Amino acid sequence: MLVGACITLCAVSLWAWFRDRAARAHLAFSGAALSVAVYAFLELTLLHAQTIDAYAVSARWAQVPITTLLVSLAAFVHFSLGTGRGWLAVCAVGIRVAALPANFLTGQSLNYLEITALRSARILGEPVSTVVAVPNPWMLLVQASGLLLTLFVADASVTAWRRGQRGASVRMGVAIALFLLAGHVQAILVFWGYVQSPITISVLFVVVIGVMLYSIADSVARSSALTRALRASEQQAALAVDAAHMGIWSRDMSSESIWANPTWRAMFGFAADEPLTSRSLLERIHPDDRSALQVALARAIEHAGEYQLEVRVVLPDGQVRWIAALGRVESGPGGAAVGTRGATIDITQRKHAEHEVLRLRQDIAHVGRVSVMGQLAAALAHEINQPLGAILRNAEAAALFMDDPAPDLAEVRLILDDIRQDDQRASAVIGRLRRLLQRQPIEKCALDVGRLLDDVAVLLRSDAAARQVHVEFDVVGHLPPILGDRVQLQQVLLNLVLNGMDAVDGLADGFRSVRVTAREEPGQAVEISVADTGPGIAPDALEKVFESFYTTKAAGLGMGLSISRSLVEAHGGRLWAEPDCATGARFRFTIPIAAGGG
Amino acid sequence: MTETTVHVVDDDPSFRTAMSRMLRASGYVVKTYGSAGEFLAERDSDEPGCLVVDLQMPGVGGLDLQSALAQSRAPMPVLFLTGHADTASTVRAMRSGAEDFLEKTDPQDRLLDAIRRALVRDAAERRARVAQRELHGLFDTLTAREREVLGHVLQGRLNKQIAADLGIHERTVKVHRKSLMTKLKVRSVAALTRLAQEAGVDGPAAATFPLGQ
Repeated sequence: MLVGACITLCAVSLWAWFRDRAARAHLAFSGAALSVAVYAFLELTLLHAQTIDAYAVSARWAQVPITTLLVSLAAFVHFSLGTGRGWLAVCAVGIRVAALPANFLTGQSLNYLEITALRSARILGEPVSTVVAVPNPWMLLVQASGLLLTLFVADASVTAWRRGQRGASVRMGVAIALFLLAGHVQAILVFWGYVQSPITISVLFVVVIGVMLYSIADSVARSSALTRALRASEQQAALAVDAAHMGIWSRDMSSESIWANPTWRAMFGFAADEPLTSRSLLERIHPDDRSALQVALARAIEHAGEYQLEVRVVLPDGQVRWIAALGRVESGPGGAAVGTRGATIDITQRKHAEHEVLRLRQDIAHVGRVSVMGQLAAALAHEINQPLGAILRNAEAAALFMDDPAPDLAEVRLILDDIRQDDQRASAVIGRLRRLLQRQPIEKCALDVGRLLDDVAVLLRSDAAARQVHVEFDVVGHLPPILGDRVQLQQVLLNLVLNGMDAVDGLADGFRSVRVTAREEPGQAVEISVADTGPGIAPDALEKVFESFYTTKAAGLGMGLSISRSLVEAHGGRLWAEPDCATGARFRFTIPIAAGGG
Repeated sequence: MTETTVHVVDDDPSFRTAMSRMLRASGYVVKTYGSAGEFLAERDSDEPGCLVVDLQMPGVGGLDLQSALAQSRAPMPVLFLTGHADTASTVRAMRSGAEDFLEKTDPQDRLLDAIRRALVRDAAERRARVAQRELHGLFDTLTAREREVLGHVLQGRLNKQIAADLGIHERTVKVHRKSLMTKLKVRSVAALTRLAQEAGVDGPAAATFPLGQ
């Protein structure tokens, strides 16, 4: 009956292991169960042996299942507790296996050098055989091995306990250690002849098997509870995924199959039953974003990591959507990528909002420029009329020369040259104006600071002359080119200088001046300061001046400095007002230098 | 007398050259200057002519030049040119007494008309200034006592009253009176009064001579 039960257990757990190769404890358990079955059978023949020879043969062969049992036990404890000192187990098992030759080559078995007599005894009314024999000293090996194994199991249990594993597996370890100890104590007492008793170790082994079975049953129960919890959390995750309108997909590298949830399919414009392939997926991506996606994926696969990027998806009907994609590459035991999993969210609306904000910012900057140009309109008309007037006077002079019967053609030629130059001068001014008034996206390139200041100086010259303000531009040392948008930086400078000119408006002649100084700033930037000789800024208004609609001027909108600051910050620079200036206000701003420029 | 000259002051060399070419071709003697300071330093005050000046120049502007000129002994008609006549600068220039205010792109005949008018005015003012100076020279020949007597006469006082005021004999007053009328080449008190008005001399101030330069 015992044998049948053990064989059944062996078969069941072997099947369990076959189904789930990772559950190696099941394999160890089936080994143990089989060993106990074999041993129990052999022990039965021992108990019922009628001759010394029959007894000796059974005793000799009984060592084999015991050995396999102990090996299985060590493995079982190791796999189910996931801990233990490996060298202890290896020593115990090694010694035990090494004892097997001694079992077959010395004495009548590993236990007895020589059996001298066979006696009969009764257990529970059943006649059983015991022996009188000379013990085999090789048996010491077996017992040392048993002690080491007991130590290994006890040590593994304690370690697991310390790690916080308080479950059935630890209880199981303790129980196994105790029964191992009991088995060995019995063996020592009987085999060394201290106690005259039949061998009934199999009973203890059955207890060990029972404990192991309990442990396995417990872990099965727990895993089924886990399965239920997992199913519940899967349902919750699915609910969350649906609620967040999240697309979910996974790709198996080995079979090249792609699975995706309905949200994902809708997002990428695939029908519910349409097969998905890497190629059909890539075709949905906007051509401009394909290489970025491929690079991100390749990098993630190479490093078995994550990727995150925003791409445009072109639906079959031509509609374009912005998708934020987040994915993780899963790697197999060897570290190679086995699959990819990812989630996607439709961020089209957010992207539209971002574009709208960008467009609005550009519009505001443009309005700011138009308003600056408005302030300069009169001065700029003057600037253009200057060359136009010269052209007119030259043309009139040439006409008068030509009235002469012998006209001075050399002079006429000089006049024509001058006319051409003045024409170019006028169109240069108009070109500058047009660029400033154009509504265009920010376009950063390497700019020469000196040229930037020259452009601004030309635009301001007439206004400064009309208002009798001395405006000075100064470049300290040789400056590296800066990285910026020419128009926007001109706008910032125009704003600051015009503010300075406004600030000095009420002052006496000779005291009205604005000074623009550019110098290299240690730390990869050029700093430009605009200082005036006006009344300065009150300390508590130093930050307020940058707020929208803050103005001290009757005709001011209060947008100039706020726009200027946002333009400078869009360049990665800073704009601030100086707190303590003995002579008027001073604004400073920094612009990063162009890469490779310094 | 030196030649009538049109002085052009402009900081823009190209416009200066073009302007000078056109005026020369129109028959004027032209002198050009890059700044107000340059003009003031080189100017010959006896020279008849007019000034064409850019309203907006860095440093000393057109308006400053005009006021400096107005305070000098030989003022000159000033014609302002500007690239663009916006309201603000027009008002400012007119308030400072600009005679003519033209844009640089105004047509040739407007500019030449304005220059012609300015030169005519300069000639008239110059003549008036010469006459005035001669008149002042005439008054300057009077003795201190004669001036005192003149002052009283212009206030319409009788010889007897003048004699009492000055503490001298009535006959002496008559002698002074006759002498000053001879010097001033007038025969009647009415003519004397008119002449004094022309020279800007009135009763109480008559004693503060000399008037001439």
